[in-house]
Amino acid sequence: MTNALKNKQKDALVIGAGIAGLQAALDCADQGKNVVVVERSPSIGGAMIGLSKVFPTLDCASCITTPRMASAIHHPNIETLTFTEVLSVEKTETGFRAHVRKKPRHIREQDCIGCKRCEEACPVFVPDEFEHGLGARKAISIPFTNAIPQYPVLDIGNCMACGACAKICPTQCIDFLQKPEEFDIEAGTVIVATGFAVTAMDAKKQYGEGKLPNVISPLQAERLLAPHGPYGRVLRPSDGKIPSSIAYVQCAGSRDKSIGVPYCSRVCCMYAIKQAMLLSGSLPIADITIYYMDIRAFGKGYEQFYQNAKAMGIMFVKAKVGRIREDADHNPILRIERQEDLCRVEEVTHDLVVLSNGMLPGFDVTRFGITTASDGFAALPREKAHPEQTSSDGIFSAGTACGPKDIVDTVVEASAAAMAAANYLRQRGIHGQP
Amino acid sequence: MDSPKVGIYVCHCGGNISDVIDVKDVVAKAGLLTGVALAKEYPFMCSDPGQGMIVDDIRSGKIDRVVVAACSPTLHELTFRNALIRAGLNPYLFEHINIREQVSWVHKSDKAGATAKAIRLIAAGVAKVAIQDPLENLTVDAVQGVAVIGGGIAGMQTALALSASGFQVSLIEKTPNLGGKLLSLDTLYPDGEKAADFLSPLCEAVFKDVNIAVHCSCEVEEITGFVGNFKLRISNGSEFAAGAIIMATGYENYQPKSAEMGFGSFPGVITLPMLHEILKKHKNAEGNAGFMVDGRPIHKVAFVHCIGSRQAEGVNEPQADGKVNDYCSRVCCTAALHAIRELTAGFPNIRVFDIYQDIRTYGRGHEEIYEKVADSGTIFFRYEQATPPVVADGTVTVQDVLTWNEKLEIPADLIVLATGMMPQPIQKLVEQLRLPRGSDRFLQEAHPKLRPVEIANNGIFLAGTCQGPMDIKESSAAAFAAASKAAALLGKGKISLDPFVARVNSSLCDGCKACLAECSYPGAITLIESSKGFVAKVTGALCKGCGACAAVCPHRAIEIAGWGLDQFDAMVDALVAEEA
Repeated sequence: MTNALKNKQKDALVIGAGIAGLQAALDCADQGKNVVVVERSPSIGGAMIGLSKVFPTLDCASCITTPRMASAIHHPNIETLTFTEVLSVEKTETGFRAHVRKKPRHIREQDCIGCKRCEEACPVFVPDEFEHGLGARKAISIPFTNAIPQYPVLDIGNCMACGACAKICPTQCIDFLQKPEEFDIEAGTVIVATGFAVTAMDAKKQYGEGKLPNVISPLQAERLLAPHGPYGRVLRPSDGKIPSSIAYVQCAGSRDKSIGVPYCSRVCCMYAIKQAMLLSGSLPIADITIYYMDIRAFGKGYEQFYQNAKAMGIMFVKAKVGRIREDADHNPILRIERQEDLCRVEEVTHDLVVLSNGMLPGFDVTRFGITTASDGFAALPREKAHPEQTSSDGIFSAGTACGPKDIVDTVVEASAAAMAAANYLRQRGIHGQP
Repeated sequence: MDSPKVGIYVCHCGGNISDVIDVKDVVAKAGLLTGVALAKEYPFMCSDPGQGMIVDDIRSGKIDRVVVAACSPTLHELTFRNALIRAGLNPYLFEHINIREQVSWVHKSDKAGATAKAIRLIAAGVAKVAIQDPLENLTVDAVQGVAVIGGGIAGMQTALALSASGFQVSLIEKTPNLGGKLLSLDTLYPDGEKAADFLSPLCEAVFKDVNIAVHCSCEVEEITGFVGNFKLRISNGSEFAAGAIIMATGYENYQPKSAEMGFGSFPGVITLPMLHEILKKHKNAEGNAGFMVDGRPIHKVAFVHCIGSRQAEGVNEPQADGKVNDYCSRVCCTAALHAIRELTAGFPNIRVFDIYQDIRTYGRGHEEIYEKVADSGTIFFRYEQATPPVVADGTVTVQDVLTWNEKLEIPADLIVLATGMMPQPIQKLVEQLRLPRGSDRFLQEAHPKLRPVEIANNGIFLAGTCQGPMDIKESSAAAFAAASKAAALLGKGKISLDPFVARVNSSLCDGCKACLAECSYPGAITLIESSKGFVAKVTGALCKGCGACAAVCPHRAIEIAGWGLDQFDAMVDALVAEEA
């Protein structure tokens, strides 16, 4: 991979290289279209590559994401640009022109051999984004073990310019002065697969404003449970204690007008149940409680998964959590209103609490010349007949860019978007070369 | 043949393997095996740098055969075969050894034993790959046409997408009309569009499309052939070839059993699909003042959710096959609430009671329907799976967990059962095509995330509710995804198939027909006349490589390419060898 594309005239531009973007790119490429995938992070793989295991099959997430990553990167019809952001998309006579900015990694990619010596030599530790702050990375580092491409990023904001990396690099590829590069890509059609963001830990002030150390996000919980996670086992952040009582607060970032997210985020019930199952596997004597409004186990095999979790002893309590504070030992105390049986208000203490945060749009897609709906996700004006068609003819959307959804639904939509994109190209006389 | 140079690569799987197996010891001992040129370990062999190691070692001439010891081959065998192709080596000079599922995961408490087992399995892999000959994929011509079975929303959408993609489509529908279940709906959620307004332009587009041959009132009589060239005969006598088949056979509404929830016992108990029909007619009737069902004015309506869905053994009566419907039907919550919204919009004086387990309004715009219904005065009661509501004439008794588990008697002059989905009975197709089904009886995809619209059978794809409950939007997406897979499969004009099929050594074959008798795949083995009499011949595209023939052949004359009898001998020898 070099700084520029081999060819800047493409059949399809896919924005985002998470599972939606990768699948859409593969489906387009398998139909003979030339595709460029542009990803703003340093690696492809999106949110999925950071997950532990996935519901309802409990497959290891790495094990089913890496084949897609590897197939995309090696596909003869696909080129991938990472650490590159699409700034704008405009319609042209022949299709679309995207203006992109390649951010500086501060290494010369064509010379880097991914040997990691710079990372080993770097003396600066900073919180690791891939571990959601639970671990540390170096100021120059490859983002995670199975990242593609295996190039480090020199995080210039945290670099103390000691030069250790430059001294040890066997190919002298460190470039402290590297500048961003901007250029245009022409494409016949565009697929928007920009994914989601997660509601903030302080979105709901009553839940500790993100300041309670033992109230963690679901993505942090994913890392705690991942086979190669930050601690290699499940420990709570404040004191490293093995938690024996863990609670999930459902709808902590969804179905709540007070935080501006009135919609259901679709995945939180299932990821909470999945994490609860994995936790009860790694901590067999721990009590795990899920406080919920409705359990929305609607997908194929999901209801059965939920019933299995109940049978395993995971406690499901229909209750709304009003407030979370902590005691002197940082044990979170939940003030809950039970909505069943005695229907009373009570306070319960747990060792560790996971806020089941919801999904927000991951990117401002209006930059691409398409409109958003009231929920902020890409609008789909004819969603029943064309669940992949955005407000702009020739621009399609897949995955969580057009609303919260799980991996199964995302992958299906991605293939659907690719079909629509291929047919759009065909209508305009671009047949590709199968 | 030069003596083989095998490269061994042991994956840590980020600790999944290396936490149990001593990978350094494995590499040291496996490196000493006969024929092994090098042995290495790496945290993620499937990652790009992991694959890069293999490619570099092949290109630099250090190795000419590869063994990777990692996860299950179902996950990454193809990944590594592709790496061999990139390096310019025949992709079948590769052996994938599973030391994760079959070793580290199952022998967590015996690290030394796990390590020893991993070494033996690798030794067997080395012995096998050392005598492997390069194999070539089979190639078959792809007919540029697709048969779509089912003319509902999924079938029509698939047909339109494939036609736009340049394929000839045969759309087979068993009823007289296109449209499937949409024909019986009144308005559609989430936007309230009239079903007919949504459906007619789609039907029109299908009928007008010169690439789509519509066969209504037709059923499939017979399907033979294989991927790229299926032959179909349908009940109107037409016969045609298709490169791929799309299953879009849809669902049927769950039919409550006699007296289930008072259905059939009391006139006021109907299903949600019956309500749709009533609403449709009602709106067409002119000058009606109130909501009438069977001539009775209706004032209070109770909706009961999860009828035929989320069933539990011991609580619900099993279905005909002895199993309960333990799955969620996904669409009924929103569909029921949408019906309430439509009903109360048309007849504001109707009181509505909604009796549910969980309200699953997950989709975009669905929560708003729920909210609107709740705000407009519908009262919700929540029951638990173990204590379902009891229906009597004019009342529903529910043990409501939201109000201290009180037993509440709810008066209702109409009780609507939100019934779930069951797959269409397609037993004949399932048998003819050997289609895989899940325990929920819906057709079973090959992998929910990696291959969500594909099945184990080559060239057959799933679209819509034959696979599981979906709404219209989701069926459309599944239809386009299935079309995408079919277009990619057929688009090149040729299809490449795995080479692991039976092959005959005619010099050893005496034409005894033992293999022919054992073969389960019609046409895969035939007898042909040769200079020495009759000998067996294999048609590769029809052979599934099951090996039944190899097992019965008395002369070792037939075997599976890539799984030769000599290779099995070598593997067994390696597995039971004295430790070096």
